[in-house]
Amino acid sequence: MRYLTIALSKGRLTDMSIELFEAIGIDCTELKSSTRKLILSDEKNKIKFFLAKPADVPTYVEYGAADIGIVGKDTLLEEGRNVYEVLDLGFAACKMALAGPAELQGKIDELNIKRVGTKYPNIARNYFEKNRRESVEIIKLNGSVELAPLVGLSEVIVDLVESGRTLKENGLVVLDTIADISARMVVNRVSMKMENERIQKIIDGVREQLVARR
Amino acid sequence: MSKWKIYTPDGVRDILFDECYAKREMENRIRNTFRSYGYYEIETPTIEFFDVFSSEIEHFPQESMVKFFDQKGRILVLRPDITVPVARITATKNRDVQLPIKYSYIGNVFRFNEVGGGRQNEFTQAGVEMLGDYSSESDAEIIAVAINTLKSAGLENFQIDIGQVEFFKGLAEEAGFSNEDVDRISKLIDRKDFVGVEEIVNRYKMSSELRELILKLPGLFGSIEVIEKFKKATKNVRSLAALENIEEVIGILGDYGFSKYISVDLGMLKGLNYDTGIIFRGFTHGVGFPILSGGRYDSLTSSFGKDCPATGFSLGINMLMTAFENTQMSSEKPSVDSLICYKKCNRKSAIEIAEALRRQALNIETFMLIEEIEQGIDYAVSKQIGGVVFIQDNGKITIHDIVKNTINETSYDELINN
Repeated sequence: MRYLTIALSKGRLTDMSIELFEAIGIDCTELKSSTRKLILSDEKNKIKFFLAKPADVPTYVEYGAADIGIVGKDTLLEEGRNVYEVLDLGFAACKMALAGPAELQGKIDELNIKRVGTKYPNIARNYFEKNRRESVEIIKLNGSVELAPLVGLSEVIVDLVESGRTLKENGLVVLDTIADISARMVVNRVSMKMENERIQKIIDGVREQLVARR
Repeated sequence: MSKWKIYTPDGVRDILFDECYAKREMENRIRNTFRSYGYYEIETPTIEFFDVFSSEIEHFPQESMVKFFDQKGRILVLRPDITVPVARITATKNRDVQLPIKYSYIGNVFRFNEVGGGRQNEFTQAGVEMLGDYSSESDAEIIAVAINTLKSAGLENFQIDIGQVEFFKGLAEEAGFSNEDVDRISKLIDRKDFVGVEEIVNRYKMSSELRELILKLPGLFGSIEVIEKFKKATKNVRSLAALENIEEVIGILGDYGFSKYISVDLGMLKGLNYDTGIIFRGFTHGVGFPILSGGRYDSLTSSFGKDCPATGFSLGINMLMTAFENTQMSSEKPSVDSLICYKKCNRKSAIEIAEALRRQALNIETFMLIEEIEQGIDYAVSKQIGGVVFIQDNGKITIHDIVKNTINETSYDELINN
């Protein structure tokens, strides 16, 4: 039997993903041990795992280097990869939002020049081009995006908003919600067809788990 | 100034001996399969006007095409596909030719792709197109040619996934989706994004059966039973006609004996403006992308001034090569049968012998020795040529078998006649 390969996002999704796979009977002992091996396996079920930077997971899956991936919807939107997005895992839920100083509430359309600070240039560009139908200046940042409007680098930001606390503490508010974000299971388009039975079994198993937990 | 001299541009590459040989062999087998069904080969220009590819129906995104200008300032492109030129030919040069017209082609196309996993910016497409036939017979024949093409290329483990866009279009019409939402939801269904589909469906009022069916669309794939199941689930005339069409096509493919390669995906949706009926994709192990793709595109030729039903498929030869490579399937290699070595004084008889052997369809290289015979043997070893023929003075000829490490004497007559 061919190995199925699963790419997990390194970081906050890792533990929740492992727990979910264990619940459906996949052996993740190797994955949980703090080994330095990059590829870990469950020999009984012929499944290989690897951990990758979240932004790379959709790429691995699109190219078929991994059959299945677990990754946040934010990354999927940003990377725009051609994969099957088969399950909403529900965890790590938050929102992708347009945020800015409170005084801009209801006035974004009036702003002439819009500079947008964000870690997600593609999502921001898509949102402004498709939803708001306007051209904007995107400034790519790598962290603490809330800082940008405070120091005059940009008028607004596009970022993940979980509780909204960071925004609030810095005098910023959500101006518009762009998308609901949560962890997703993605599958390579060819694998879904060539290994349908095994992959469908994993999807169904995980789905049952999710329903049972609701 | 010559900073880029030693590099090739992004997404294009040199194809060297073994790979090029395997590719040509594969192309020849594919060409013969096309011919065996009566699809005759054409060549279209590598360069076309930008306008050819920028019609309403099939729009290759502007940014994906390689563009430049002619002397008159008109925009040219390197062709991003060959199907559109075939439609152009059918509506113009071949407009009075008896239908159906069956075309085949093998040629390079150019797109700014994201490179990797078998994808390149310049790649070879092989395909067939049948213009002028509406029937399920032609839908099925195209898929049969596709299957036989993969088989002739040496692939055994592959799958052809068949969909029918009219099934979705019927349901979308019934649901009353706005044009924008049709576009959006079709992409979501194609991505099997159940969550996204539900979000849009919830914004519309519709019967619970219809709602149910649209929500299930992303998961409507697998074996042929899918069709039977959903015939009962809808009364939509357009959608039912689509199911009958796909059922008939699969029935005909059964007559070809190809059922084992077929699966169904009613949630497969590619370009809604372009596709008008059956669509299909081919998959195999070892590549993460489809290796072939095809279907019905009845409205394309009308943008060139002639209404004509059409169906066809194209296959990515590079993608197929990647599949062979990644699954360690062996492919043919070029080989030379013998190396004929001689010193300058024996050149005439060496050339005579080489030409005589070449006429017998053997692959022969010649090598003029400056030093001793070891020089020729070293070269033969490095090129993996199994036999060295050494033409010596006074008509003496020795054969050095490099594999068995033997030397035998022979004569001119024996060599030519054996």
